[in-house]
Amino acid sequence: MIKVKRKKFDEIIDCIDRYNNILNVGCGGCASVCLGGGQKEVGILNEELRLYYEKKGEKKDIDAYTVERACNEKCFLDLPNVIEKGNYDAIITMCCSAGTQLIAEKFNKIPVYPAVDTIAIGIDRDIGLYEEKCRACGHCVIGYTGGICPITRCAKSLFNGPCGGTNKGMCEVNPNIPCAWYEIYNRLKEQNRLEDIKKIHPPVDWKNQIQRTVVQYGYEERYVNMDV
Amino acid sequence: MSNLPDIILSNKSKIKFAMSLCARCSMCAPSCFLYRANNGDPTYMPSYKMLNSIGLIFKKKGNLSDNDLENIKNIVWEKCVLCTRCYCSLGIDIPYLISLARDFCRQKGVYKTYDN
Repeated sequence: MIKVKRKKFDEIIDCIDRYNNILNVGCGGCASVCLGGGQKEVGILNEELRLYYEKKGEKKDIDAYTVERACNEKCFLDLPNVIEKGNYDAIITMCCSAGTQLIAEKFNKIPVYPAVDTIAIGIDRDIGLYEEKCRACGHCVIGYTGGICPITRCAKSLFNGPCGGTNKGMCEVNPNIPCAWYEIYNRLKEQNRLEDIKKIHPPVDWKNQIQRTVVQYGYEERYVNMDV
Repeated sequence: MSNLPDIILSNKSKIKFAMSLCARCSMCAPSCFLYRANNGDPTYMPSYKMLNSIGLIFKKKGNLSDNDLENIKNIVWEKCVLCTRCYCSLGIDIPYLISLARDFCRQKGVYKTYDN
């Protein structure tokens, strides 16, 4: 799932300082699961903001609303009504960047500021401990690399074997980081399929990248008129 | 006395219609991956989840006990991930109705947390 982390308090203040009537929107999806921006975290941030402005002697109204899924307009539920009734000067979001952009698109008359950074697509190691596993490059090769992503794990995102900087299983960029290709080699060897490491993959064409749209198999006809 | 929030009142006809339209045909069941993953446990059926969450909230006009809210929380968060993939052959928008139940719970301060 997507992992988010709250921005530094000063940065949030810098964004909202000029507004008096603000809505903080949380997300009940990924942001909630990674403890970055669910209903609870929205409440905590709002309380911190309230105390900050109270101390400064400034009056600000900061409300809260958590949508079920910020990346799906259908799950916005009462958000349009809340925004209309609240007459807000600004919205801060504790959703991932995708959800934040959908909110900004839907309510495009109101400035929208993310209160979290979208960090990664990752896994849960423990409560509050998450690890990046995927950069959504759109060219998945982990079938050939023993289930280890070289784009995410290799400091140089190399597709075809290690660089010359691999040193006793560690990376030259930082000796505390394991070399992804060393791990790939070991895993493929354990699985007795080292021939996979020899399969050469063309580099990802990073130039002229455009916004991607996913149309799943079976849905092509439905979206046939879309320019995707 | 009704204790229903605006979002539910503004969807009153939709909820009422869904409640009366649901024929308990169980056609929605196989569209839920959790139902299939839990060996056909009927409490994972989308219709069951809808009727026992938003249905109950509506029936009791929002006057629910703490126990009711906990049961609904268990249904709408533990037994549904809101993947929105469930279908109803009669056209009931089950995911939307379940999300209304979640919203009701949130407004009552009852929601799933992930840090315990």
